[in-house]
Amino acid sequence: MRVKLKSGQAAKKFIERVEELSGENVYACYQCGRCSAGCPVASEMDLLPNQIIRLVQLGLQDEVVGSKTLFLCASCFTCQSRCPKGIDMARVMEAVRHLLDPKGKDAFGPAEVSPELAQELPQQVLVSIFRKFAK
Amino acid sequence: MKVHYYPGCTLKDKTKALDLSTREAMALLGIELVEPEGWTCCGAEYPLTEEKIGTLAAPIRVLRQVRDEGGDVVVTTCSFCYAVLKRANGAVRNDPLKRKRFNAYLRDDIKIDRWTKAKTTGFDEYKGEVEVLHLLEFLRDRVGFPVLKSKLGRDLSGLAVAPYYGCRLLRPKEELAMDEPDNPKIFEDFLTAIGCQAVDYPFKQECCGSYLSVSLPDAATEASYRVLRSAKMAGAAAVAVTCPLCFYNMDKRQDKIKEAYLDFPGIPVVFFTQVMAWALGVDKALLGLGEHAVPAEAVFQDIPAAEVRP
Repeated sequence: MRVKLKSGQAAKKFIERVEELSGENVYACYQCGRCSAGCPVASEMDLLPNQIIRLVQLGLQDEVVGSKTLFLCASCFTCQSRCPKGIDMARVMEAVRHLLDPKGKDAFGPAEVSPELAQELPQQVLVSIFRKFAK
Repeated sequence: MKVHYYPGCTLKDKTKALDLSTREAMALLGIELVEPEGWTCCGAEYPLTEEKIGTLAAPIRVLRQVRDEGGDVVVTTCSFCYAVLKRANGAVRNDPLKRKRFNAYLRDDIKIDRWTKAKTTGFDEYKGEVEVLHLLEFLRDRVGFPVLKSKLGRDLSGLAVAPYYGCRLLRPKEELAMDEPDNPKIFEDFLTAIGCQAVDYPFKQECCGSYLSVSLPDAATEASYRVLRSAKMAGAAAVAVTCPLCFYNMDKRQDKIKEAYLDFPGIPVVFFTQVMAWALGVDKALLGLGEHAVPAEAVFQDIPAAEVRP
């Protein structure tokens, strides 16, 4: 994929914030792709996990925060357990989710669950999905 | 033996079968389960960023309550509760800053006496004294699989069960330390101990789609289908799970999987505690089989026990 590199404070700040929030060193990634190979929902993603981390390394905030991949990660930690560099990709995903516009719309909020569906869902799934995808 | 038991929210409502079968099985093993008083939801998700860690207050409160009741171990069966409680406990143990922050925050909780309703405040610092164990870990490390085996009341040697670990039991290995994330064997050892045949299949530790079944149902349908088909092709009569959400995705939503994948014949999904309770000799009516969307009666067929428990 072709991207246009940008330089400047904004890009640097974005990388620093992701590292600060996630506690992971994003520059450790050397693009082996094992995270994407093992990801159970990779087929649905517009950007694969290894592409997300590459774009974070390049400071391309707009490309990353606009990706629907952020709301496809099920935090199953398969990527974490297989990363040869010890990066927890689920933490990087969560860090980027926290950098979204705090006043923006929820990716998935309570309004999207119908009362009938809420009746049959186990409680834990409602707690976890709103913790992940709503602000 | 007396041990603290944290059931979690879902076991009290949508998947009572997991709670009931756990209690029945533990009673036959002579283990008394004590619920910590006033327990709350664990939060379901361990916060993965260094900020917004406020949701850790709930699990730490539960653990502190266990300690204040004199418990040194708390057992859970739900994988989500297990991951959250164990990781929260690890954070308090190993991260001095988090320990200080949470204790400063939780110190001023108000204690209400159960009988006199008198309010007091002030709690001792929680340093991670309690050990969080999944029931499988508890049976392996504290009870012992050989002991479990010696108490069986039914012969299940004809039953082939596929163990399904899912995402939250094994990973991250550094914090949960239950077993190897890519080559686990605790569940297989457990099934062998209770007399079943443990079926080996490649998708046992893959994700079932987790909470995506709400936001993106098709992705969860596909992920669950891959797991169930893999188990079925390996010759399993049933898939055993530990997590209420895996149960929802693979049992309650199995009609959706069948609609989407016409080659899928269907397979019963059961809780590991139901199989254990059945092997120990619990009556079929007490296993909560009414909660299953895919009929699971055929899994629990009464074969006369080779040797009946005294």
